[in-house]
Amino acid sequence: MGMTLMDGEMLQLVNINPSTIVFTLINTLIILLLYTFFLHKPVMKILEQRKEQIGNEMKAAEDAQKEAEAIKAEYTSKLKESQEEAAQIVSAAVKRAGERENQIIAEAQQEAADLKKKAEESIELEKKKAINEIKDQISDIVIMASEKVCEKEISKSDNEALINKFIAEVGNK
Amino acid sequence: MMPISLNILAEEEFTVNGPLRSIPLPFLNDIVGEENACIAESVVTQWVVMVILAVVFFILGRNLKVKPETKRQVVAEWIVNFFVGNVETSMGTYYKKRYAPYIGALFCFCILSCLMGLFGFRNPTADVSVTGTWAIITFVLVLWTKIRTGGFKGYLHSFIEPLPFMLPFNIIGDFANPISQAMRLFGNNLSGMVIGGLVYFALGSFAIAVPAVLSLYFDLFSAVIQSYIFCTLTMSYVAMADMSE
Repeated sequence: MGMTLMDGEMLQLVNINPSTIVFTLINTLIILLLYTFFLHKPVMKILEQRKEQIGNEMKAAEDAQKEAEAIKAEYTSKLKESQEEAAQIVSAAVKRAGERENQIIAEAQQEAADLKKKAEESIELEKKKAINEIKDQISDIVIMASEKVCEKEISKSDNEALINKFIAEVGNK
Repeated sequence: MMPISLNILAEEEFTVNGPLRSIPLPFLNDIVGEENACIAESVVTQWVVMVILAVVFFILGRNLKVKPETKRQVVAEWIVNFFVGNVETSMGTYYKKRYAPYIGALFCFCILSCLMGLFGFRNPTADVSVTGTWAIITFVLVLWTKIRTGGFKGYLHSFIEPLPFMLPFNIIGDFANPISQAMRLFGNNLSGMVIGGLVYFALGSFAIAVPAVLSLYFDLFSAVIQSYIFCTLTMSYVAMADMSE
């Protein structure tokens, strides 16, 4: 340590030495300048730049996010619109199909009714026709029968009564 | 005050001296008003410290990038942020930019001065002229802060606050702070030196392990703590002197 019995002139242990004070002051100032200009200012400058850059980047990110959100909102509304449109189209189609269905059913019913009516009419006609034919045939038969009967003795009144009775019987069949 | 001398054994004597006068500088004679004025050893050690710090600051502070690429830059930023953060915590935002460089420089200077003891130099902080100078700087800063925030009238008025009879205590307080600050750093480091010297002296040729442990405590631990305390005191004295709040 070199503290015992050193050669050379020593200052006192607790001494106020003006030259030491002056030099310490100067040295401290120089250290202050060294620290300030070699370390403090460059680092602070870099920190400031970094802060600025991060701020800019954050702002850019925020802007991008806002933009993305706007686009998202736009697409969402568009999607909603198109969904609504699709739903409208479907419901319109369903409605139209329902109408068409009813119309087809109505038409078919109408047609069926027409056919039925026509059939009934033709049946009626045929029936009448058949009845008339039968009547004609019966008259013929009756005439033939009466001719046969006339070969026997029969009064005119008896004859007519007989014919009418026969016709009535036939008519009832 | 005379050098400390201890008569431990009748034949041997243990002496602790003040800093060695090393280099005579003739031009100092007129300035200091002494004959044969010399530069003290503490100043020479300070020059060594200054050279080391200049190199360290220069290496740490160059080629900094916005996106850190080197560990060196991380260390540099950590150091600067440490002082800026400490100053902001103890003194507030106004002082942050103004005092962070001074506190940083003072702390680096102080701590490296203390560590020079490890390399066989005489610890400059064990010289009361050195710690005294730093305390004088603190005193001037405190004075300036008081006048700046309170005006000269406010400064004078602060001596009779809260009551006029406090005047002598306030005057003593103003001077006691820097003196105690200087003495604390000086005393701690000097005591380390003295105890280290005594242990070496007492152990004689058996001085292995034990001085190393003591040196670890006095030159490393105590040096860091005392430097930190000195800087913290400087900050709090200046912050307390602010009368604007």
